[in-house]
Amino acid sequence: MRRGAFHRGLTLFWWVVMAFLYLPLAVIVFYSFNAANSSAYFAGFSLRWYDKLIHNDQLLSALSNTLVLGIASSTLALGIGTLIGYGMYRHRARKLGWLIVLIYLPIVMPDIVFGISEMAFFISIDRQFGILGPSLLTMIIAHVTFQIPFVALIVYSRFVGLDPTLFEAAKDLYASPFQRARFFLLPTLKPSLIAAFFLSFTLSVDDFVISFFNAGPENATLPIYIWGAIRRGVSPEINAIATLMIGAVLIAALLSLMFNRHKQH
Amino acid sequence: MTVSPSAEPDAVDTQRVRDASAIALRNLHKRFGRDAVALDGVDLDIHAGEFFTLLGPSGCGKTTLLRILAGLEAPNEGSLTIGGKDVTTTPPHLRSVNTVFQSYALFPHLSVHDNIAFGLRMKGVAAAERERRVQEIADFIKLGALMERRVNQLSGGQRQRVALARALVCEPDVLLLDEPLSALDAGLRNQLQVELQRTQKRLGMTFVFVTHDQEEAMVMSDRIAVLDGGVIQQVGPPQTVYEHPINAFVARFMGHVNLFEIDSVSGDRVTTALGQLRLEQPLAEHERHGMLLIRQEVIELGPEVPEGYNALEGVVRERLYRGSRVEYRLEVDGVVLLATASNLGQRLHAVGDRVTVSICPEDIVRLDA
Repeated sequence: MRRGAFHRGLTLFWWVVMAFLYLPLAVIVFYSFNAANSSAYFAGFSLRWYDKLIHNDQLLSALSNTLVLGIASSTLALGIGTLIGYGMYRHRARKLGWLIVLIYLPIVMPDIVFGISEMAFFISIDRQFGILGPSLLTMIIAHVTFQIPFVALIVYSRFVGLDPTLFEAAKDLYASPFQRARFFLLPTLKPSLIAAFFLSFTLSVDDFVISFFNAGPENATLPIYIWGAIRRGVSPEINAIATLMIGAVLIAALLSLMFNRHKQH
Repeated sequence: MTVSPSAEPDAVDTQRVRDASAIALRNLHKRFGRDAVALDGVDLDIHAGEFFTLLGPSGCGKTTLLRILAGLEAPNEGSLTIGGKDVTTTPPHLRSVNTVFQSYALFPHLSVHDNIAFGLRMKGVAAAERERRVQEIADFIKLGALMERRVNQLSGGQRQRVALARALVCEPDVLLLDEPLSALDAGLRNQLQVELQRTQKRLGMTFVFVTHDQEEAMVMSDRIAVLDGGVIQQVGPPQTVYEHPINAFVARFMGHVNLFEIDSVSGDRVTTALGQLRLEQPLAEHERHGMLLIRQEVIELGPEVPEGYNALEGVVRERLYRGSRVEYRLEVDGVVLLATASNLGQRLHAVGDRVTVSICPEDIVRLDA
């Protein structure tokens, strides 16, 4: 029965890994409903921290910054990334080796390198021309930069999965170049575009490092706000924010997954 | 032109269609990259209202030729006119030509109905007229119950029908079909061969069909062009191409195996590996080289030799029983000869039997090597 023991061992290992991943999140969600002033003990169920949240102006402005940044950058990245993905597909027959590497590179680049180099770049432009000082705009540009590869690769993989004769069928059935984009490419891509948008949005909301280096004093996002607040100690209010963020990211990620799945059937 | 099966096409209309759909290819050359020659000087006239088949092995250039007709590929040299109009450089969406693709290429994001309506929608046909024509073609191809289905819910044969309807509804001058039956199983293929041929006859539309299956080509076509190496080897009605192939390639591709090189000629007597054979007429000077073809089905096996026939002695080496007919692999003078006999209830020869082979001089065809 060694085999049975081995399988029980694997099952146990699985649950240990799951606990490591999700227990901290569960603890935060649990304590966000704690009536006590500290996470040291539980003093009964309460929504007081959520109540405090919605009266915290600093936090609300951080939330609105996060949403503006997320929506604006995801929208821009969607447009640019889609064009790149289509270009990669159209010219896939050519040897694009190094170009593909350039597309992949931002995905594996450490955020800190990305964040610092963008900051240095924006500051030097600001010195020279007096534009692109740290602001919401620089943050949007920085986010678009790291979102583009994800969008491009999602769109590219959708095209690669299509029967290439579909493009010819559209031409054959009298569709002009504009009509091919409007009635064939866009509808075919729609699920992938929605998935790419939600993935970009999730990445943007999630990002701390790159935002931190490129934010102006007025542009704190939720992660930046939380980081600042934590330096003064973990307040139960942070637990409440974290719980809301977990919920939001979970929903966006599920939507992304759902649309990416849907396209394959 | 109308797709209604009952309506008699009126004379003027038919004439217009006829003029609009004749195809002329002149000196077409197509190369891919530096060395790969797909078409090497093709001259071809396809008549209006004809079921025309491009037949050849893979890589012979038949698909390239079809793609040039569709406008999906541009020739390096030469010209293409449809209905007297030069369309060599016209992009596909401006040509009155539609294609049934090998993979069918139905749009996965659209229903069957919307797939069929796609071409008319792109052409800007008004909604009411569009609806009427889609309905008409759906009745004609018998798609009624499938119209609201999604494409991925269809079987292979249903997809083939939808692809055909999607192309036909546009009422093109020319319909191109790129091996549309090759993905289907044998029974369905035979059924659709007949349906396609009937459809073409009813509509009087010019069909250009590509296949590598010589039987399919013979069943459906008015005329066949056999291609090899980017060159047209022979053009003609199925019976001519089958019974009088112009060279050994065409003969082998049409399924013939009994080909014998001509060794020497004296009057109407020709010597080959099979022995001396008498032909119906002496060969002309320029015909005294090349090959003789003896079709499997013209060979008679039996004790008595009809008057004037060539007689050879052979041994049965193999017998394939195919129900309606029986195939024998014979050995004559150390040379293999295949013979097919209709199964009329006669006594079958067994392996090892000595048989007398009779061949009518009329049935021996000379062709180029």
